[in-house]
Amino acid sequence: MSAESLERLQRQVGNWTVPLPSKRVRQLLSIALFLALWSAAVRVGFLGFDKFVGPETTFQTMLSALGGTPMTDGGETIYEHSAYSALRVLVAVTIAILVAIPLGLTIGTSRRWEDALFPALEVFRPVPPVAWVPIALLLMPTFRSGVIFVVFVGAFFPILVNTIEGVRTVEEEYVQAAASLGAESRDIFRHVIIPATLPSIVTGVSLGVGLAWITVVAAEMIAGGVGIGYIIFQAYRLLQTDVVAVGMIAIGFLGYVSAAAVHQTGNYLTRWQEID
Amino acid sequence: MDSRRRLVRAGSILAVPILWLVASRFGILPGLPTPVEVLDAYVGELYREDFWISTIRSTIRVLSSFAIAAAVAIPLGLLIGRYTVFADLTFPALEMLRPIPPIAWIPFTILVLPAAELSIMFITFLGAFFPILLNTIQGARGVEVEYSRAAQSLGATSYQTFRHVIYPSALPAIHAGMIVGMGLAWVNLIAAEMVAGGTGLGFLTWSAYTSGSYPTIIVGIITIGLLGAASSALVRLLGDWQIDWAKEQPA
Amino acid sequence: MSKHDSPTDDPTTAGPTPDSTGKTGAIDINDLSKIYDPEGERVVAVEGMDLDVEAEEFVALLGPSGCGKSTVMECIAGYLEPTDGEVLVDGNTISEPDPKRGVVFQENRLFPWKTIKENVEFGPRMHKGVEEGRAESILDEMGLDGFEASYPSGLSGGMQQRAELARLLANDPAIMLMDEPFSALDALTKEIMQKKLLEVWERDNRTVLFITHDVEEAILLADRVVIMTARPGQVKDVIDVDIERPRDPEVVTTDRFTELRERALSVIREEAQRALEQEEGG
Repeated sequence: MSAESLERLQRQVGNWTVPLPSKRVRQLLSIALFLALWSAAVRVGFLGFDKFVGPETTFQTMLSALGGTPMTDGGETIYEHSAYSALRVLVAVTIAILVAIPLGLTIGTSRRWEDALFPALEVFRPVPPVAWVPIALLLMPTFRSGVIFVVFVGAFFPILVNTIEGVRTVEEEYVQAAASLGAESRDIFRHVIIPATLPSIVTGVSLGVGLAWITVVAAEMIAGGVGIGYIIFQAYRLLQTDVVAVGMIAIGFLGYVSAAAVHQTGNYLTRWQEID
Repeated sequence: MDSRRRLVRAGSILAVPILWLVASRFGILPGLPTPVEVLDAYVGELYREDFWISTIRSTIRVLSSFAIAAAVAIPLGLLIGRYTVFADLTFPALEMLRPIPPIAWIPFTILVLPAAELSIMFITFLGAFFPILLNTIQGARGVEVEYSRAAQSLGATSYQTFRHVIYPSALPAIHAGMIVGMGLAWVNLIAAEMVAGGTGLGFLTWSAYTSGSYPTIIVGIITIGLLGAASSALVRLLGDWQIDWAKEQPA
Repeated sequence: MSKHDSPTDDPTTAGPTPDSTGKTGAIDINDLSKIYDPEGERVVAVEGMDLDVEAEEFVALLGPSGCGKSTVMECIAGYLEPTDGEVLVDGNTISEPDPKRGVVFQENRLFPWKTIKENVEFGPRMHKGVEEGRAESILDEMGLDGFEASYPSGLSGGMQQRAELARLLANDPAIMLMDEPFSALDALTKEIMQKKLLEVWERDNRTVLFITHDVEEAILLADRVVIMTARPGQVKDVIDVDIERPRDPEVVTTDRFTELRERALSVIREEAQRALEQEEGG
């Protein structure tokens, strides 16, 4: 049964033909249904939902938070918490990009460097970045640099691994074609290897940014201080569930915006690719 | 791979503990437990029941949450990938929740779910769920229409088409999602265990920090790393076994 | 023997050699063997192959699929090192790829991340031995004006193949190595491309080694058609195509063409049969 026949089926419920709502309406319906379910679950007390906040109160708290009211008494505003988390992600991802891409290109193109470096790096890769939190707190001179280090680890490996994989899958014929057109190995690196690897690097960066957000939230929850992760957990301790929900929305929004930014930049950088 | 390369690669791995040893001997990283201390602590942990309970708990949590995530995400992803109407009705809501890092759900789950165990499992589940879901959708959408047409022309019902055409064609993409999902399951499990406390390797590692038994932190990290590597290998193995047709290349 | 049909050639002189005429682009393949041995699974792709291609000659290499045609080409291009024997170009052993030996690949290998113009200008940019403005005039000649700023993914298959030929010509190679360049094109586009290639070759004095499995294409284009055996590849037969130039795709209807085609086909059939038996045998 194809999508069309399903649509036809739905149009003929009972004896009358029901016009199927347009795509936009269906998508809005999806969101509305979610909010309705959430609200109903809180009202009815499904599982422990009665201990959580409903969408209506969340919306009100959200408005006042956006108006600049501190999220907890005497604490920072939503903007300050967001800025702290976002800055940590930005700094850590930037460092990860600056380290992982050249390293990945080196490992991917040189067997000698691969043998020397990759096995050692592989030793660290299976360790989830969050597990480094206690060590980072122990070793780093300040709390701030500790969190950034952990977030860096989160972003680093996806970018590294995808860069290496990208270099390895560059089709040999492009290298051959360039060589037959008179390109030296430096030219081949610049005009073939790097552009051919770019789509893979973009994938790595978007995975890395996703992992960076997870790591920053976890690190802030565990280590405390300031930031969206911290405020979500702090609000939970104070049983301000509306603030918990607003924090979740804020982190989702930031994650979405940064993913979209990476996506747009990636599309621009690889605009030569076929658009399916 | 020739023996010289093998030697260099082995040397690369060995360099990690050697550099660590040198760093701790010369006080380059003050505060970092020395390899000897960690080895000592590791042997000690191996005799402690608590260590084994934590290890087993974490492993069971990851494997069961991952299995549930796959069991939910694959059928859901195939449906979303193939039926526009179904996709329109479900996907926007899911997309709204996706950018929220799973670990951010933990206050919510602690409040709403009846047991802490379920909270941790739900967070782990979420970690694996979205990568598998997204890859399945992509895989299902990527199935060339000629395949399903061919199957229908050969008399397959829509369920049979799903079972024998759509699902196997989407498998490589699903598998790629499962590899990412397994990694994220571990990330979120460790975070959840650190935050929610109780048992598990994440808790063990964090409580080693708070109680000042620093060598045990690294014992925890090493154990987590080993289990993480083993579960990735398991998913890869599962994939190789399921998708043998993709590797067959004509000579 | 090259160009012996061409009216400008003096019929009294012996066959031209690179030294006596100053032409370049002669290829000597002597006792060439190539054995692949990736994981202990020994595959003899080419064994003891001899072939001399004269400067400015157009030779088609014809044979069943998997007969090692591409291996021969890759050895001449400098991508592969022969296991045994040697490949000489103008008397020199080949050590690496060189802009004098241009290659057109079976699948389009325009750089997808560069525009058509950037692709065509790539060779001239890499080594300075090409005159200024050559790229532009070639883009025009190949009918690519207006597509300079497009990426290859935005072009049709025929256009892409034309751009790849333009990229090659912009580099002014003495030898053009073409590995089934038109096999993926539809019949009409293929004919247009063949015509274009003949036009360019008849004007520009280059050696062409053209790999194909299409008998008609080989006869239409080449001075000589070299038929290879099934693996391990060797020269099975050489057919001199004494159809006068300039040729155009109409010649396929002539009797002489039909005769040559029948001759080539009978050799090929024999080899194809043998290749099939080989495959069935394991």
